[in-house]
Amino acid sequence: MASTSTPKPDEKSSTPADSKPEQSQNTKTAGALEEDDEFEDFPVEDWPAEETEAANQQGNTASGGTAADHLWEESWDDDDTSDDFSAQLREELKKVDAAKRR
Amino acid sequence: MSWASATPPGTQPGYVSYAHGNFATSAPHPFATLQPSYSTFAMPSPSESRPRINADMVPFLAATAYTPVPVRQGFGQPYTLQPQYAAYANTTNPPPAPAAPPAEPQQQQQKIDWPDKVRSYVQRSFESKNMLPDVSREEMEAKLKETISHAKDAGIMYTTDWDSMPLPRSSAAASTEPPARATNHHNSKKRKSSDFSESDPSTGNPWRSNKKLLSLSDRISQPPGLDSKSLKQAEKAENRKQRFNTAEYKTYRSPSPPPPTGPILGTCTNLEKNYLQHILHQTLDLLKKKWRKENNYNYICDQFKSLRQDLTVQRIKNEFTVSVYEIHARIALEKGDLGEYNQCQTQLRALYASGIKGNAVEFKAYRILYFIHTANRTALNDAIADLTTADKEERAIKHALEVRSALALGNYHRFFQLYLDVPNMGAYLMDMFVKRERLAALANMCKAYKPDFKLRFITEELAFESDAEAAQFIIDHNGQHLLVEREDSIIFLAGNAKQLFETARADAHRRVDLKGQI
Amino acid sequence: MDSLIKEFRAAYADQLGNDLAKTLTPDVPNNAAQLMSVWESGNSQSVKDDLKFLFVRDKSARLNMSSEEAVGWQEIYYSYWKALGEILAAEGLRKSRVKVRDHPNQWLIVSLVSPSEPLSTSKSPWSINKLTCRILTQTSWTSVYEAWKELTSQIIRGYTNHEFENWTIPCLYVAGKYMRLYAMRADAERGSNGDEMVTNFQDDFDPETEKHKSLEDCARQLNRIFNLCLSDRAPLSESRKWGIYYAINLLFKTYFKLNSAALSKNVLRVLSAGRGDMPDFESFPKSQQVTFKYYEGVLAFLEENYEEAERHLTLAWLLCHKGATRNMELILTYLIPCHLLTTHTLPSAKLLAPFPRLQALFLKLATAIKKGDLRGFHQALQEGEDEFVKRRIYLTLERGRDIALRNLLRKVFIAGGFIEGAEGGAQVRRTRIPVAEFAAAIRMSGGQDIDTDEVECLLANMIYKNLMKGYIAHERGFVVLSKNGAFPGTGV
Repeated sequence: MASTSTPKPDEKSSTPADSKPEQSQNTKTAGALEEDDEFEDFPVEDWPAEETEAANQQGNTASGGTAADHLWEESWDDDDTSDDFSAQLREELKKVDAAKRR
Repeated sequence: MSWASATPPGTQPGYVSYAHGNFATSAPHPFATLQPSYSTFAMPSPSESRPRINADMVPFLAATAYTPVPVRQGFGQPYTLQPQYAAYANTTNPPPAPAAPPAEPQQQQQKIDWPDKVRSYVQRSFESKNMLPDVSREEMEAKLKETISHAKDAGIMYTTDWDSMPLPRSSAAASTEPPARATNHHNSKKRKSSDFSESDPSTGNPWRSNKKLLSLSDRISQPPGLDSKSLKQAEKAENRKQRFNTAEYKTYRSPSPPPPTGPILGTCTNLEKNYLQHILHQTLDLLKKKWRKENNYNYICDQFKSLRQDLTVQRIKNEFTVSVYEIHARIALEKGDLGEYNQCQTQLRALYASGIKGNAVEFKAYRILYFIHTANRTALNDAIADLTTADKEERAIKHALEVRSALALGNYHRFFQLYLDVPNMGAYLMDMFVKRERLAALANMCKAYKPDFKLRFITEELAFESDAEAAQFIIDHNGQHLLVEREDSIIFLAGNAKQLFETARADAHRRVDLKGQI
Repeated sequence: MDSLIKEFRAAYADQLGNDLAKTLTPDVPNNAAQLMSVWESGNSQSVKDDLKFLFVRDKSARLNMSSEEAVGWQEIYYSYWKALGEILAAEGLRKSRVKVRDHPNQWLIVSLVSPSEPLSTSKSPWSINKLTCRILTQTSWTSVYEAWKELTSQIIRGYTNHEFENWTIPCLYVAGKYMRLYAMRADAERGSNGDEMVTNFQDDFDPETEKHKSLEDCARQLNRIFNLCLSDRAPLSESRKWGIYYAINLLFKTYFKLNSAALSKNVLRVLSAGRGDMPDFESFPKSQQVTFKYYEGVLAFLEENYEEAERHLTLAWLLCHKGATRNMELILTYLIPCHLLTTHTLPSAKLLAPFPRLQALFLKLATAIKKGDLRGFHQALQEGEDEFVKRRIYLTLERGRDIALRNLLRKVFIAGGFIEGAEGGAQVRRTRIPVAEFAAAIRMSGGQDIDTDEVECLLANMIYKNLMKGYIAHERGFVVLSKNGAFPGTGV
């Protein structure tokens, strides 16, 4: 009875339709990039040592040296001064030097 | 008997209902005389940049700078002299000196001419065809009284469309009714007659009914569910409790005890949502004004919490909701109340995410700065993940991201440049971590520079206002021996500092880590 | 139902836990017909009777099973049958009997109503049905979740009340695995229906919690499984402790999904407290080891304990099945930033070769770092930003800029060449380098102007972080680099 005498139903409380999120590219957030990126269940429960990645790396480097040698490298370019970038850098440094001498 | 003492002890543990009455009293409302205004509280638009904190940076600051703040008054006391409040104002403070209240409203309060529309609304309610078998006359009266006095309090008595106002409803609804104005007149003898209008029950309103009032008080003084009657009644009681919670402007978690006496009020709002919203809008306006005038943070914070509570319970989620949270967040920010600020921020995030408009950019930027302050890396990651491509083009957000990046890379030079140019109210947040970043920068410099350099270099790099301020900072951290005078300038002996600032830096950052965990 | 129980008996007779678990696996995509036939084998009462017969009265089976245990299994399969009904309905593979009987045309309408169509716009005579159907579809995965949760409880009860032995624990895993799946579907379904079930009347409620209601509940159930395994005091050979990593790995996945990775820390704490009584980690199946090490590594990573993270992730990587490309990709996603920060090493082209996604993520960045190309670094970071942020590696990778800068400054140092050594000795590298030279290099590499004070600030940082040895003489405008290893670890 109470509800029938209520002039306006509760729908007032719901969000008005015009305030729905905009669907534009710009409103896409990084967090919203949903895709299943969970660590997957392995299809088998266990496997022998020779099927591990470690064994795989050993196999590929049978010619000698340890696996890690080939997979990780130093973070700097060792003195490869022939590339454009280094050449440009030398030019810049020359200019500084010249300015100082003047 | 005051309303507070009639509140069932079991219903609201730790919640004390009192202050809100100021907005819902059936007595002449101190605010009812103010003209609501929607324009006076406009924040600077997020794109505007402001100089570092000063009075004109924040509207409320600016306002308070020119508003004479009255002597501290009793809790919730408005600035005008309202004799009905004197009772509890007296309990702690002498009554405030009479300010000069606008004369006209004062008179209005003394004598109210009920508008014809209101009179006919009352009449209609009592017409037999409109009477429902399950609504007692008493209930009807109480309901009417509440509706009308609320309208009056809110200053909308003359603007309300009484012709289409729903009539008091069935007993189910009525029984869940909050006790409304019921308790006002308990204090009536403490008021001066001039405060009273015809709305006061003791002055002979047609619907006055002491019996009803008593029964209401009784009802709410019993914990719901302990009703001795049937289960159905227990349910009703539960309903009532809900309703009561809903509508009551509660103040909770407040450290201060309720005043022993005073105008304690029930509430309104068994009306439709739009009507309630109207009331809430008005409340917000009044709060804004009050904040500008009095700058009483504890009070305003409690009021905002109640307003928020109402919005939550009523499930009102719209732009108005956003603005309530935004305004409360800004005030909390200004006052350095990070706990409250963070609550608002959390809600705002959800509200914006559901597509409701507001100053999302401004607050997304704060959010980043806030998590920089609390050193909450995970949350910072989340905050960044929340940004849209468009967001990242906004100045305030760009700024916050650059602050983060500068700190991540130890680029104090860039950091302090950003500190000098913060959009909106971000400077309040940056102020909170600028000290620890100065220590970090000094630790850095002391390891990298030899043997010394001018103090001025620090002043400029670390954005101190003056050499004196920079020197003081160094001295405050026991670095006085690093400052020497040479020729006409002060020299900072960076090479001699050893681990002095490194230790101070580590301490400052450790403290933040602890805080960030809370 | 008969055939299912036949499989159960075969697995039970040979004590094959995994086969046993298979009889409780609702693998709809691969097994729809079979599951359907199980469901259609009877109604509630007849299935109950059948199970009672099969487990209790049928003496032909001769399973070595106490009557206590038999009752436990009987209840489990009954719960399973009920859950199957919900699953098949939610998958749209069967009509809901009750509902169809009540409203013969409803299921027809379900397919007519687009879920995105707002209810309020329905003004047609259909609207009532639409409303009803909306409610029905809304709750389908929630019902599945609830039914499956009941099954899970029955299985847990099997261990606590019905004398189940530890070789059957794969059943616990299947129960937990599907429970989590259904919880996520239930949450997603509620979310897509746009219903905000705000039941909390405090305004500081966490909207996130509402969004993940079922999954949060699921986390509690998984914790029960975890404790069931952890608390077993039987000798190791009979212990349920062998199920512990099943439970932990499911919990980790759940906590990560709930954005509460930090809760995983509690699990690790409890685990390390009881580690003495635990079987050796190495004796668990590799699938469990790798999964556990992956999450342990990521947790350390998120707390910026990069060295610890590197240890765990390296172990996960080496133990991982060589064919599990996707998982290897995930491990490397965190291992690569670890290496960058701990040993300043970068993945080689060879390492990245099998992983196009990792190449896209890291190759440009690695190249820019090596070259000392600040602008290239900035661009690569920006291009990958969304992905990096999502993976939570952005903040770590950003610190690679220091390495890029170090490499650039190193180039300036090398370009400075040699000068006469003291007292006519051998030539030595020039160690006194004008700030202006570094500034010019940074301007060129960064592609934008930068004032000298900021350059000094960057140099100070290099020194502060031990990436460069020496000091800045501010008033004189140059840097004095160490004669011995100006750039530690890089050969100069």
